[in-house]
Amino acid sequence: MSKEYLGEFEELVLTMVGILGEEAYGNAIVNEIKDRLGRDVNLSAVHVTLYRLEDKGHVKSRMGGATNARGGRRKRIFTITNAGLAMLKAMKEARVDLWKLIPQLKISGT
Amino acid sequence: MHHPPRFALKFLKWFSPPELYEGIEGDLLEQFESDIKELGEKKAKRRFAWNVLKFFRPGIFLRNRFSTEIINTIMIGNYFKVATRNIAKRKLYSFINAIGLSIGIAFCVLIYLYIEDEKSFDRFHINKDHIYRLNEASYSVYAEQRGEDPVRKSAYLPLPLGNVLKDEVPEVQHLTRFRGGQAVFRYGEKVFNEGLTYVEADFFRMFSFPLLAGSAEHLFNDKHEIVLTPEIAEKYFGQEDPVGKVVTLDLEGEKQFTVTGIIESPPANSSLSFKILVPLENSRGYERSREQWSNFSWPTFIQLYPDAGIANLKVKADTLVKKHMGETLESWRKEANIPAEFPVFELTYTNLVDIHLDTEVGWDKRSDPKYSWILGGIALLIIVIACINYISLALTTSASRKIEVGIRKVVGAHRKQLVWQFGLESLMLAVISMFTGLVLAVFFLPAFNEFTGKGIALTSFNMAQVAGASLGITLVVGLLAGSYPALFLSGFLPVTVLKGGFTSKLKAGFTKPLVVFQFFLSASMIICSIIMYRQMEFIATKDLGYDKEHVLVISTQTGWSEEADRVVEQFRNKMSSEPSVVSVAGTSSSFSRGWSHYGYKIKDENKSAYVYRVDPEYISLLSLTLKEGRNFDERMATDSTTVIINEALARDMGWDNPLEEHLNWREDTVGLGAQVIGVLSDYHFLSLNNNIEPMFLSMDKKNTGYLTTMLVKLSPGDIPQKIEKVKSAWAELYPDKPFDYSFMDEDVAKQYNSYKRWMSITALSTGFAIFIACLGLFGLAGINAVNRTKEIGIRKVMGAELSHIFVLLNKQFVWLAIIAFLLAAPLSWYFMNKWLASFKYAIHVGWELFAGSMLLGLALALLTVSYHAIKAALINPADTLKYE
Repeated sequence: MSKEYLGEFEELVLTMVGILGEEAYGNAIVNEIKDRLGRDVNLSAVHVTLYRLEDKGHVKSRMGGATNARGGRRKRIFTITNAGLAMLKAMKEARVDLWKLIPQLKISGT
Repeated sequence: MHHPPRFALKFLKWFSPPELYEGIEGDLLEQFESDIKELGEKKAKRRFAWNVLKFFRPGIFLRNRFSTEIINTIMIGNYFKVATRNIAKRKLYSFINAIGLSIGIAFCVLIYLYIEDEKSFDRFHINKDHIYRLNEASYSVYAEQRGEDPVRKSAYLPLPLGNVLKDEVPEVQHLTRFRGGQAVFRYGEKVFNEGLTYVEADFFRMFSFPLLAGSAEHLFNDKHEIVLTPEIAEKYFGQEDPVGKVVTLDLEGEKQFTVTGIIESPPANSSLSFKILVPLENSRGYERSREQWSNFSWPTFIQLYPDAGIANLKVKADTLVKKHMGETLESWRKEANIPAEFPVFELTYTNLVDIHLDTEVGWDKRSDPKYSWILGGIALLIIVIACINYISLALTTSASRKIEVGIRKVVGAHRKQLVWQFGLESLMLAVISMFTGLVLAVFFLPAFNEFTGKGIALTSFNMAQVAGASLGITLVVGLLAGSYPALFLSGFLPVTVLKGGFTSKLKAGFTKPLVVFQFFLSASMIICSIIMYRQMEFIATKDLGYDKEHVLVISTQTGWSEEADRVVEQFRNKMSSEPSVVSVAGTSSSFSRGWSHYGYKIKDENKSAYVYRVDPEYISLLSLTLKEGRNFDERMATDSTTVIINEALARDMGWDNPLEEHLNWREDTVGLGAQVIGVLSDYHFLSLNNNIEPMFLSMDKKNTGYLTTMLVKLSPGDIPQKIEKVKSAWAELYPDKPFDYSFMDEDVAKQYNSYKRWMSITALSTGFAIFIACLGLFGLAGINAVNRTKEIGIRKVMGAELSHIFVLLNKQFVWLAIIAFLLAAPLSWYFMNKWLASFKYAIHVGWELFAGSMLLGLALALLTVSYHAIKAALINPADTLKYE
C-alpha cells in the first residue's frame, strides 16, 4: 500500500468517480469538476487518467445503456473499486495526520 | 441536428483503440452538443476538432498496442502447444506435408549452390578485372556447310603472337601461355603418368593461387624448375620437404627438374586447373613454333595495367596481327574462298571472370548459363508446387478443426488471432521442413556434385548464405501456404459451426489443373526413364562383334617411337610361360581411347577409313571373325604394307571380291597401294552412337603408327591375382615405367558415362516427380473426400456398397491421370526419339512401352487416392448424418 501513490489529478478524478457513483463517465467528471471547483479540465486528460486508474485497479468500467443523447453512443461508466476507496481513504488519513502536525497557525489577515 | 466535423471523427476512429472508441466518441459528442448551445456551431466544431486532437496522445493510441501485444504473447504459448499437438495427432499428414516441403527446399538449396558456384568462377583472383584470355575468331568452311554459325572462336593462338604483344604493346603488364600436356613423372621408385601444365613466369604474378613455398618474383627464371601442388608433392615425397628435390620428366627424352615452389591446388571453381606447373619452354614443339604464325595451339592470357583500356590494346594488337600475319591471312582467304564479310583471323578478348560462361570458346569446365536459368526455373516450379500441395493438404485437415475455430471464437478470439494461429502453425511445420531440407541437401551434395561434375563444398560462408536463403524460402512458403487455410478457417461463423451438422465446401479448384500438371510431368518422366533404362540395357548387352572380357589395356609408356613395338614383343615373350595370360597383342589404340581416321582420294572420290595399327595376335585376342582371307604373318615381309579390311569398307568401295583388290589409301601414284589380304566381319570398334564405318587394320609402322597400347588377355577367374602377376612382370622388365592399366570392357562402358549420368538424373527426378504428384493427388483426394462426407453417408444409408463408394470417389482421379498421360505420351515420345537418335543402334519404342508406363502411373495414382477413399467409405454414416 505504501508504495502506491496517486497524483493530485488522479486523486481528484478518483474522488469524482466516488462522488458521481453510477453516473461517473468522462464528460460528467469534467462538468462536476467545473461545477464544484470551478476548474477547467480537459476531457482527454480525464479519459487518460481514468484508464490509468483502471489499469491500477482503482476503478472499473463498463458500458452503460444506450440513450438518444450523444448520437446514440453508450457511456463508459466508471465505478470506484474497494481498492480505490481504500486508497482514497488512506491518502486522506495521511493528509489529516500531517495536517495535525502543523502548529495551529492562522492564516494571516483573517 | 448539427454534425461535428467528419474528418475529426474519422481521425478519432483511426487512432483510438476499438474498445475505448465508443465511450470517447460519446463524451466528445455530448460536449459538442452542449458547446453548440453555449458557443454556437462554428466555435463548437472548432473545439470538437481541437478536443479530438488532444485525445491523440500516447496514453490513448498506444493503449491497444500494448494490451493486445500482451494478449498475443500470452496466446503464442498456447498456439505452440496446440500446433505441436496437432502435428503429433496427424502424424501421417504432418510427415507427408513436411517431407514434401523439405525435398523442395533441399532441391532449391542445391540449385542455389549450383548457381552461386557458377557465378563464383575465377572471382577469387585479385587482378581479375585486368586479366583477359585472348581468342581468335575465324571463318570455318565446315561449319558453314553444316549450316552452323560460320565464325568459330578458339583460345588457341600462335606462339609468337604472345611474344610480340608483350614486347611491343605498352598496355600489357603480364603475359603467360597456359598449355596442357602429359609426361611420365619419376622420383626414385615412384613412376606415374602425370598431367602437366606449361606456363610462364608471369603466371605467378597474374593469378592469385597462393604459393606455399617459393616466391612469385623468382619462380621459373630457369627452364628446369617445376612447381607442384601439395597433393602431388605428398604423392612423391611423402612427409619430406619437396623444395629442392630433383625429379625426372620424360619430355621427348628424360630431363631433370628441380622443385622450386609449392602452389595451392586450384579450387573447384577455377577455370584454370593444374597439378604440376612446368616452364613453357619445355612444351612439345616450343622451339619449332617460336616463329610459326600458323601454328594455333597456345592459349594466351594477358594482364593489362590497371589504367590501360582494353580498347587501346585492341587497336595495337590488330596492327601487330596485320603486320605479322597479313600476307598469310590474305592467301588463306583466297585459298579457302572466304567471303569478305567474315574474318580469317580476328583477335577477341574474354575477361577472366567471363571465361566459365563463355559458350563460344571451348575451355576446361566451361558451361552454359542456360543451365543456371533452367535450374533456377525448376527450383521456382518446385517451390510453387510444394506450396500448393502444402495448401491443399492443410485444407483437408481443416475440416476437423472447425469446432476448434468455433470454440476459440466464442471464447473471444479475434479473426486476426486465428490467422496468426494458423499462420504460426504452418510456419512451425515449414521450419521443421527447412531443417530436414538442409540436412537432406547436405546429405545429397556429394551425389549432386557427381551429377553436375562440380566440386561444391560447404564452407561456413556459403552455409550461412544457404541458411539465410532457405530461411527466406521457409518464411515465404510458410506464410504463403499458411495464409489460405488460415483465412479460410478463421472465416467460419461460430454459430453455424457449433450448432452441428455444418458442412462447407472446400474450394480448391486450383489444385485440379495442378494435379494434372504434376501427373503430366511424372508420366513423361516415367516414360523417359523406362526408355533410357531399356536403351542402356540394350547397349550393355549388345554383342559388339568382339570379345572384350578379361582384356587388360596397358599403355606401353614409350611415346610415339619404335620402342613401343619392342615393349610389346618383350612383354609377350615374358608372358609366354605364364598360364594365366592367354595372349598379348599390340595396337595403336584401344577402343574408346582414340582412333586414327584417314581421308584419301580414290578415283577422285573422297573416301575415308579408320585405321588401327596391330600385330598378328590382335585378331585372335579379340576373337574377331575373319570372313575371308588370312591373318597377318610376321614372317612375310610384304605384310608390312598389306591391310585387312572390314565389310563396311568393302561395301563402301563396292568390291565384290575384296581379296583381289588393293586399297590405295596412301594415294600412291606409282603402285596399286596396299593389298587386301583379309576381310573381317563388322564389329563395333566405335561406340554405338556411330554406325560401323569403313576400317582397316595394318602392320605398316611408318604410316599407321606404333603399338603404343598393349592388350593382355587373361584367362577367366581370380582376376585381381592375375593382374598382380602382370604387374610384377612389368615392374621387372621396366622398373622406371609406370604401370597404367584398365579393363577393355570398362573402357567401352565408359563411353556411355554421360548417358548413364543423365539416366540416373532422370531416374532421380522421376522419383521426385512421382512423389510430388502423389502428394498433390493425395491432397486433392482428401479435399474431395471431405467435401463428399455427407453424400457418402446418405449413399451408405441408402445401401451403397463399399466398392461403389470406392469407385465413385476414385473415378475422377483416374480421369485426371489418363488426361495427364495422354498429354505426356506424345511429348516424351518426341524427346526420347531425339535422344535415341544420338545412337545409331537403338531400341524400338513401341506402344507397349507407353501402355506399361500408363498402367504403372495409374496404379500409383490409385494407390495414393485409395487411402482417402477407403477412409471415407468406412465412416459410419451415423457419425456424419446424426445432426440432420
